[in-house]
Parts: sequence; structure tokens; C-alpha cells
Amino acid sequence: MASHFSSVLQLTDLDDFITPSQECVKPIKIEKKQGKSLAKIQIEDDGSYVQVNQDGGKQKLEKAKISLNDCLACSGCVTSAESVLITQQSHEELLKVLRNNKENATEQKVVVVSVSPQSRASLAAYFDLSSSETGRRLTSFFKCLGVHHVFETSFSRTFSLLESQREFVERFQRKEQDSNSLPMLTSACPGWICYAEKTHGEFILPYISTTRSPQAMMGSLVKGYFAEQQGLSPQQIYHVAVMPCFDKKLEASRTDFYLEKDETREVDCVITSGEVQKMLEEKNVSLNDVEPAPLDTLFSSVSGGEFLSHAGSGSGGYLHHVFTYAAKQLFGEEVKDLTYKTLRNNDFQEVTLEKDGVVLLNFASTYGFRNIQNLVQKLKRGKSPYHFVEVMACPSGCLNGGGQVKPKPGQSPKELLQKVEELYKAERSLSPEDDTRVAELYQSWLHSVGEERTKELLHTHYHPVEKMKNGLTMKW
Amino acid sequence: MKEALTLVQTLSAHPDSRCWFVSWNPTGTLLASCGGDKAIRIWGREGDSWTCKSVLQDGHQRTVRKVAWSPCGNYLASASFDATTCIWKKKNDDFESLTVLEGHENEVKCVAWAPSGNLLATCSRDKSVWVWEVDEEDEYECVTVVNAHTQDVKHIAWHPTQELLASASYDNNVCLYKEEDDDWECRATLTGHSSTVWSLAFDASGERLASCSDDRTVKIWKESPSGQGDLSWKCVCTLSGYHGRTVYDVAWCRLTGALATACGDDAVRVFKEDEAGDPEQPVFSLAAQAPRAHSQDVNCVAWSPTEAGLLASCSDDGDIAIWRFHQEA
Repeated sequence: MASHFSSVLQLTDLDDFITPSQECVKPIKIEKKQGKSLAKIQIEDDGSYVQVNQDGGKQKLEKAKISLNDCLACSGCVTSAESVLITQQSHEELLKVLRNNKENATEQKVVVVSVSPQSRASLAAYFDLSSSETGRRLTSFFKCLGVHHVFETSFSRTFSLLESQREFVERFQRKEQDSNSLPMLTSACPGWICYAEKTHGEFILPYISTTRSPQAMMGSLVKGYFAEQQGLSPQQIYHVAVMPCFDKKLEASRTDFYLEKDETREVDCVITSGEVQKMLEEKNVSLNDVEPAPLDTLFSSVSGGEFLSHAGSGSGGYLHHVFTYAAKQLFGEEVKDLTYKTLRNNDFQEVTLEKDGVVLLNFASTYGFRNIQNLVQKLKRGKSPYHFVEVMACPSGCLNGGGQVKPKPGQSPKELLQKVEELYKAERSLSPEDDTRVAELYQSWLHSVGEERTKELLHTHYHPVEKMKNGLTMKW
Repeated sequence: MKEALTLVQTLSAHPDSRCWFVSWNPTGTLLASCGGDKAIRIWGREGDSWTCKSVLQDGHQRTVRKVAWSPCGNYLASASFDATTCIWKKKNDDFESLTVLEGHENEVKCVAWAPSGNLLATCSRDKSVWVWEVDEEDEYECVTVVNAHTQDVKHIAWHPTQELLASASYDNNVCLYKEEDDDWECRATLTGHSSTVWSLAFDASGERLASCSDDRTVKIWKESPSGQGDLSWKCVCTLSGYHGRTVYDVAWCRLTGALATACGDDAVRVFKEDEAGDPEQPVFSLAAQAPRAHSQDVNCVAWSPTEAGLLASCSDDGDIAIWRFHQEA
């Protein structure tokens, strides 16, 4: 079976994706109960383990469980086991929460779904709709299920882009004093982050932008600003993100995005575009037959009922925005059109800003494992010429994410990707600086919480994962 | 016809260790060997005997599993269990370490140069096959990483003239790769062996591929025309009943067409093809064998590229043996 993970995750630890790896170093905690004497352990017909005491009494034994957090902390596998991901974050979990809301009047959760523009484009291609129309119909579908608010992550991405732009200029200005400030490597791709932390730890992490991904930004917005506005505790909100990527489930499970005080995650559950399609199928619903619903405009980039997007790549347009901003801020150059030069392959491109024959800015995008390899090796040898690199684990980037809807029978992956790209690009783009509602939030919300708290809300940290070396993890 | 395999010389190549692999340079003047002692040795002929010309040490932290000469003969690549591949450049009689290719997660099992010399392939226990491109400045960049196997990849071999790559794995399969559009893809999976496939060899024309396995057989695969764009290779012959244990290596002589095998039963065997046979159902018969060629497992056999019938083998006993395969009409 093909793995759903990004190419990087698939390639770094290949031990297995079905069950936790043999190298799993999670110590299993055994609750020791005071017992009098000997007991037997018996395996029942259903495969469960039962302890049989001397008096004949039976007691079902608990299974050791591995959580996503355990996986992130362990060097045994680079990624967590697929089984763990699927059981902890799936559309079933969302349905369970919605069911509970209906059956249990006292313990209501406000359910918020944040849909990524890449997922919208993927589902739009599947149902032959425009991306905006898909967004309206998805809103309708989720609301029929009992979801309270449907937002979209182009809105939170505006924060990611603005923060990335500022972070880059700040890093560029201290490049003489701090050799680790450049190149700035993007941080939105969780497959890349996981790989960097587990494989190149201390060396590569300083280069990675601390700016939160659009999903994590939305986490701050929903469980921070929105909760406060609604007079809710973060725990009373169940926040689901719809993403083109399985690795986003891993990202949501990071302790950095866990609210210790409120005992809740900023994003409780991530479901992929493909899982949404599965949900529709299970409910016997085609988006083609769904009545469109008006959009929730609180956290959505919309204008006149149509969604707005960002210029540049289908992976968020980080290179585009940081480049144009830096050209203006650092060199006073107004760049209208970026010229992408394809290097070794389509997933490795370069953009430069030159003036009087001098290269002022040298940016690149590297997608897929092979190009990430070359980037990392070049960095290690001190031979990377770049100031900024948009790094994505999937070949062709997020529109081709592992969680996107699979091609229909007879449709080639290439054809599908092209269609998804067209639908994605068809949305009108808005410059992050021109989003007045985001500017307002900076003014009101972020200004009121202070600089330090703003940093926490919009940025994050990375942690090298040390390789475990002990007898148990010995490979032969 | 009378054929025989006679021993020319035995070299204590990697004493107190294993000799994993031997490789002839393109002109057949040098033989490189590698072993469990982390060293690479270069052997050259002096008169009638073979002597050690240089020792390449300190390149690797663990066993050196395979070595391969570039088609121009000026570079040597070594694949090691330390997860790296080392590129050595020949300078007169000496070799200097040029670069170290990193990226594989764990043991690199094999390295092979494409006929053009511009591409290099590596494979590993991490189940992946990588292709690297070399530029004029001796810089290596990763062109692709393909994950077609579900287990340890044991061996890789390039087609003699095309950019077609074959790999053999612990998952019992052989995969064939070609570049498609922008990336390399597995274009065919050859199934048939019932256990680990240890090695591969194309014949001189590249129309056929021999594979050898832990299932004690050697299989001959032939390209068959297919309607779709995909490659289609069919097994046209299985050599079974000859090998007492795992067949670790197979070598197809580009000069004579003889097929040599290295076996875990300590023997070296040479097979000849029945010339009158049907190309779709070729028949190979055992022409000669050295039952106790070595005192332990034979790991590798390699035909000299320039001298017909000259064969090198190496073993877990640490030795290299040089053989002459005679054919008398």
C-alpha cells in the first residue's frame, strides 16, 4: 500500500507505516497493582489479553497505547505509525464530537472547521466546480452536520506571509553578525520540519523560519482571539483543519501547539481533502447536489462572496511575497513579475534580483526529497548561494499533497494536478498588506496582548530529536 | 568441447576479514577489492602475478560493501555500511578521496556508474535507490530517490548502453527504472524469485538480464515488446539444481557470453548458452566448476573486460582467486 505521507517522511524512516516501528523507544508504563500471588495471562479468542488470578477471577489487561506526542519525541521512526495517526485524528473523531453535541445537551462543543485553499481546489477538481463554489457548498455540508463555523486558511496565511516577510528582512539585516540567519528556510511544510528535526537537528534548525504555518496561525486565531470574543474557554471549542497533507496531523500534535493551561490543542483534529471526500461518500452526498451556503466571513479571505488567494506558488506563495517585500524594503526595488528559472528539475527553481550586474537577492524553491537533499548537502558544505528557500516535501508542492483527493479511474495524476492548479490559481489574489481585516487584528488584538505574547501567537520553536543509541535499537 | 576452470593465483586480499567484492577497471589492468576491514585495495599485474598497488583506507567507518570504476577508469566509487558512498580520484598510481555522498539513512549496499559516466546510482538497506548526477567540477547532485522496493536493496546494475537501471532486493523482486518527464520511475517489477535477489548482470547487448537469488536459482530475463509505454521483461530461463546454497553473484562475460556464479556453497561455476537454442527459450548448461573455489561463501565473480576467460572471485575467507576459463574446440 502506498503511504499517504509526504515523500520526505516516506523516505527517511522506511521501517514501516502500518504499526509503530521496532525501534519505537516509547517506554511502556505498566500500572503495577498489588497482587497476592501468581497469575496467568491468557489470550482470548478476540485477541485480548486477560489475567487469570489464582482464584479464577479474570481481569482484562490494558493495551499499551502510543500517542502522537510519543511519536514526535521518539527517534525510532521519523514519522509516527500510520495507525496512530488515523485513530487519533480522523473524520470519525469529528463525527463523534458532532454526535456527542446532539446527544449530550450539557457538554456542548463549538465546532470550528478551517479549510485550506489547496483542499478546496482538490475537491473542486473532483466535483467539477469552481473553488469558491466548492467553498460555499462545503460550508453548507459541514453546517448540516452540525459544525458551527467554517473558516478558511488563506486568511490565517496572510499572517504567515506578513510575519515571514518581516522575519526575512530582520534576518537579512543581521546576516553579517549572525552566520545562522541566512538562508531563511520556510516552515509551513510539516514533513520538512519533521525531517529536519530528526535528521539534521542542530545544524539546520536555526535556518528555519520561526513563523507559524497557516494551520498553526489559525490555531492561535480560533483558540485565542475567537474564544475570547465568544466568551468561551479554548477547551469548549473543537477545531478541525482540512488540509492537503497527512503530515499536518503531526504538526497539530506538537506540544508547541498545545495549550497547557487549558489542556487543549489549538487544532484538535486534522482531516485531509481525501478524508472529506470519504465523508461525503459515507453520507451519500455529492457536492454537486448541495445548496451553497453563505460564507463565514470572520476568518475568511472573501470579497463579494468569492474567495481570495495569494500570488505565487500553490504552496502558499512564500517565495513570491518575501521576495517582493524584501526587494522593496531592502533595495527600494518595485518587482512586478518574478522570473522563475528552472534548474535541475521543475521542483527546483530560482529567482534573483539583480542591479548593475550584482545579485542582491537569490531565492529558490526546492520541493521533493531529492531537491531537499541537495539543499541540505549544499548548506553543509557551505555552498548554498541562497538567501531564502521555499522548502516543501511533496514534489510539485502542497497542491500535490499526499492528502489530496486521488485521481479518478482513467485520470492521470498529472492531468489532475494541472486541473487543481488551474482551479487554485483562478481565485483572485490579494496582497497580504492590503487585507484590512488582518491589519485590524494586528491593531486591536495583537497590539493589546503585547509584543511577547504576539511572538508566541505568531511564531513557534523547533527541537532537534536526538538519535537513540542503545542495545534495543541496534540494527543488524 | 571441453571446458575447464583453472586457478591462476590466490591473493590474501583482506586477511582476517571478508572480501566482499571485486571490480575490474575498464581496461582490465587493475582490480579493486573491498572488505570487512573497511579498506579498498587496488591490484595490478606484474608479469604473471598480481600484486597490491595501493590501499585506500580511512574513507569509511564500516565495512566497504561494493566498489565500482567509472567508465573512464579515473574514478572509483565505494559503498559502505557507514551510510556513505565515497568517490576516489585516480592520480597516477594513487587515489585521493574526492567527495563523500551522504543521504542514505543507513547501509549503502551497492554503487554503479551509468555507461555515460555522468550518472551514478546507489542503493541501501533504507529501501531506496538514488541516482546522482556528476558535473564537470566533480560535484554530485541527487537527481532522484525512488522507493520501489519494500525491503533492503542489495544490488543495482546499469544497462550497458541505455540509461536504464535495474535493482535487486530482499523483497524477492527486481525493479527497472527509467527517467520519465522530470523524474525517474520504476517502470517494471520482475517477480519470480522466491527469496532475496542478491545480484544482477546485463549481457553485452543489454537485451537480457541475469538475476541470482537466495532461492538457489539464476533467472534470465528478456525484454519483450509491449503495447503500452511500459517496459516488459519476461523470465525466459531458470537455472535450478546447480547451486547448493544461496547464489550471491552472477557475472555475464561481455566477450564470450559465459555466465559465472558465486555461491554460498564455496563454489564458482561457469555456464554456457546452447548456441542453437531458441532465443525465447535459451538453454544454459554447466560448462565448468571449481567446487571448493574458496574455503567459505563466494561473494562475487567478475569477468575481465578485456581478456576473454579471465575471472576473479572473492570470498568470506578474505581471499581473491583469479581463474582462467578455457574453452577448447
